[in-house]
Amino acid sequence: MSREKLKSLGLELPMFPTTSVGSFPKPDYLVKARADFGKGKISRKQLVEMERKATAFWIEKQEELGVDVLVDGEQYRGDMVAYFAEIIPGFSQGGLVRSYGNRYYHKPIITGAVSWPGPITVEWWKYAQGLTKKPVKGMLTGPYTVMDWSFNEHYADRRATSLALADVIRKEVEALIAACCKIIQIDEPALSVRPEELPIAIEAMHRVTDGMNAYFITHACYGAFEHIYPGMLELPVDNFDLEMSNSDLGMLNLFGSVPFTKDISFGVVDVHTHELEDAATVQARMRQALTILPKERIWVDPDCGLKTRTVEEAIAKLRACVDAAKAFRN
Amino acid sequence: MNLIIANTGGYPRVGDTPELQLLRRTIAAIDRGEKTFADLADAENTMTRRAIEEQARAGVELLTDGQVRWYDPVSHLARKLAGVKINGLLRFFDSNTYFRQPVLLARPERKGPLVVEEFQFACNALGQIPTGREGSVRVAVKPVLTGPYTLAKLSLAEDATMKRLETRANAYATALAAEVKALADSGADFIQIDEPASIKHPNDWGVFTQALEPLLQARDEVRKIGRKLQLALYAYFYNPAPLYEKLVQMPLDVLGLDFTYDAKLADTIAAAGSPRPLALGLVDGRNTRLESAAEVARVVERLLPKIKGERAYLGPSCGLEYLPRDRAVAKLELLGKIRAAVGG
Repeated sequence: MSREKLKSLGLELPMFPTTSVGSFPKPDYLVKARADFGKGKISRKQLVEMERKATAFWIEKQEELGVDVLVDGEQYRGDMVAYFAEIIPGFSQGGLVRSYGNRYYHKPIITGAVSWPGPITVEWWKYAQGLTKKPVKGMLTGPYTVMDWSFNEHYADRRATSLALADVIRKEVEALIAACCKIIQIDEPALSVRPEELPIAIEAMHRVTDGMNAYFITHACYGAFEHIYPGMLELPVDNFDLEMSNSDLGMLNLFGSVPFTKDISFGVVDVHTHELEDAATVQARMRQALTILPKERIWVDPDCGLKTRTVEEAIAKLRACVDAAKAFRN
Repeated sequence: MNLIIANTGGYPRVGDTPELQLLRRTIAAIDRGEKTFADLADAENTMTRRAIEEQARAGVELLTDGQVRWYDPVSHLARKLAGVKINGLLRFFDSNTYFRQPVLLARPERKGPLVVEEFQFACNALGQIPTGREGSVRVAVKPVLTGPYTLAKLSLAEDATMKRLETRANAYATALAAEVKALADSGADFIQIDEPASIKHPNDWGVFTQALEPLLQARDEVRKIGRKLQLALYAYFYNPAPLYEKLVQMPLDVLGLDFTYDAKLADTIAAAGSPRPLALGLVDGRNTRLESAAEVARVVERLLPKIKGERAYLGPSCGLEYLPRDRAVAKLELLGKIRAAVGG
């Protein structure tokens, strides 16, 4: 485990640190406030008040549960790419495209050179960190995923787009570190969509993290990891946060053939089911992890962001993670 | 050489105006218990007509029904087969869209039409729609089927006899061959078979080609009784260049290719030629940037002399569902501009 790095950053974490992937469901009052804001019924200031209230709720809830490394819950974000595209110059909002079923979103279009507009997430991170003594992760979306999930009308190709975005995200990382953020998660769920482009994702991540004094996590999920493993270990981060349970821990087979050399945030509960796994199921998943991975390297969390669950389900799933970690510490 | 403007598959099912939100809002109302599945059918019919009308007005000569009724390219067909249950979401190739994964509980069997009724509706809808900008262009509808290999590759099996990919592919092929015949009986003379997985997994070449055999036999049987029927194979979402020379030798009538992954694909085709008509997916169906009509026309000019069969098709690299509606229309209109620029 990069415990030395964490220690050098002033962070002492217990064995099997618990965390979560990023998003939490929005309480009903915030859902209503976002709808009202969209209709012009309330001001942005009123919306932000509700977002702060919901953020405080989730910080308090994570502390109650005993989570070790907290997140702000992304109560002020909609989509993980669109949120940044709405703020970063160079993007314009596209029309609706379908994600699946009856779900649609405004896919961003890169229409000009992207640039850093000044701190994007730092105020929210400071607010969340100000509510707790436990470390709160800085949460960003990675350059390769922002590129892959946007239309591009400006840059010559996918590599050029990724690298330009990487320069923007690096500045946000610098700003988070300047604000004393020690753990920064840079999500790359698109990492495996084009295995032949893994070198682009790695090159872009180098631009983001090289020389930066923080503990870096990346989250990836629902991909064909068999096509990018072990190459993905070249991504310059300290910790891979991976969806494991939805795929019945199938990735452990990969780790058995070529050792996993990073820390891992091991998804022990499936976020795409209403069903709450019982303690025996979660502990069995951890036992399986321990057959392949050294215990010093394992963090414990849900598979993915919990925003698609109800508030009650999200809390219950998070509690299952914490309970499992505690059981194994003992 | 006849250059025919053809859509490749799906079409946006919503737009930004309230009337273009009909389908989305109807499904949401059904979820709330406020509307019925009869309302859903009405909404699907309305948006299908709209998709056909927009394609025709944009100058498309061989169009699709827009696959407006399809949940996704996999489960829409698989859920209609006996012996199949539909599972959770998986990413559909390298798109940021998802499909529901079929699980085979038994050998998948066709128990009725898969897309025949949708095809018939689209053909009838055409009769109510002004066809072509000048009113003089022949417009036709092609049904689209996801191919047996791609369906098999993206399915799981709980039934032990269906665990082997080859067995699954052959079972799907039998069902799809029956659908090919039924479509021909309904008047289809051009059927598009989508096999995006074929170029992504070249090691499965034998499974892929074997699974196409029943569909080719169905085509040949239909032809024996005097019907005209062309089977087109479309491969997209990956670079087809490494397999091009094998793909183009397959006994299909048309080969549709995605040019967006490899700028050198045109060189490969120009060098090797094609013994059969090609569908040139030269307009990117997944990016909003509009290509230069003149630049694409130069590529078409290079390729046309190398293509045998007296005709070729010009279209998007894949279905247009991945684009916002206004951009999808713009891409279709661009196809006509490209054709006008060929030889210009």
